[in-house]
Amino acid sequence: MCDFSGRLVAWMDREVPDNEAADVELHVRDCSECRRRVDAYEEVSRAFVAYCDAAIGEKTRRRLPRWVPVLLSSAAAAAVLLLVFQPATVKQIPVQSRVADAAPAVVVETETAPRPAKKVHRRPVIAPTKTPSANWALAEPSIQIAIPVEAMFPPGAVPEGITFIADLSVAADGSVQGLRLQQ
Amino acid sequence: MSGDSLSFPLPLTRFEADSCEATNLYRELRKPLLRYLVCLGLSADEAQDVVQDAFLSLHRHLASDGSQENIRSWLFRVAHNGARNRQHSYDRRFGKPLDPDLDSMAEGATPEQVVLEKEKFHHLGKAILLLTESERECLLLRAGGLRYREIAEVLEIPTSTVGDTVDRAIKKLAEKCNV
Repeated sequence: MCDFSGRLVAWMDREVPDNEAADVELHVRDCSECRRRVDAYEEVSRAFVAYCDAAIGEKTRRRLPRWVPVLLSSAAAAAVLLLVFQPATVKQIPVQSRVADAAPAVVVETETAPRPAKKVHRRPVIAPTKTPSANWALAEPSIQIAIPVEAMFPPGAVPEGITFIADLSVAADGSVQGLRLQQ
Repeated sequence: MSGDSLSFPLPLTRFEADSCEATNLYRELRKPLLRYLVCLGLSADEAQDVVQDAFLSLHRHLASDGSQENIRSWLFRVAHNGARNRQHSYDRRFGKPLDPDLDSMAEGATPEQVVLEKEKFHHLGKAILLLTESERECLLLRAGGLRYREIAEVLEIPTSTVGDTVDRAIKKLAEKCNV
């Protein structure tokens, strides 16, 4: 076995002092056996890195089954729809208003009614059959989601370019049951 | 007038510089750290958690005027210790050879090349199982781009020992894989 064989790997890794590195380089140029060894060590090193990369790929694929992104995007879409179509929080006006029941024809004349001030803030009583918007008013309570980054991480702890996936659980009644962030 | 623009050190200047340094390190070392932890035996989720904890520790370290020397080996050491703390997962390291599916192979490769590559991985996986714990760790850190001196700091062993260990491990793999 060649005297230089014990320094080939370190020489490949540029871990040999400069004065020794020159000697090893000269030797490898002339020694076919050492050249073959260096080629073999480089090939094994590349294969080891590729093997580790495959390990990451395999475990990442195992981590996220194919249905998970579909489920997440569905949940996100549902959340967006809820937020977009959520009506403003309005005090529900009973459909069968006592005032309307009692004297529908004389509502205008109730200036002297016991509670005229409240009438100023009330919407006109609308029968449920006349417009579908009355159904939206039943969707209380409203949903608000606001998660500032500063509340979750210390300032500057999240480098630029990082994205998170929001996993939103929405119950059958439209309420949000849980929110989980993953990178 | 240019003289009107005063230049004075803002309190945030150092913080911004630290954040920039942390961001650059994150871009450079996130994947090598993940690769190291996954190959140690952690799941992808655990590895992500450990890497995130390591960078949070880095942020605190820099914010508290910690030394910026050998910061790469510092990060790997924090991640290494984080993996050790998850002892249950740590013990699973390289529990069995990987069996990469055909999809993970390079695009454009012929079916014969894919089969040969898979066969090579299979042999390599078996050979890796024969390495000692120290040999595997040294090779993984070397694959992450660390110098022998940095590997020595992560594993808290002499640099000369790292050189001997890497040399021995590479020769073992070459022999077992008939390269």
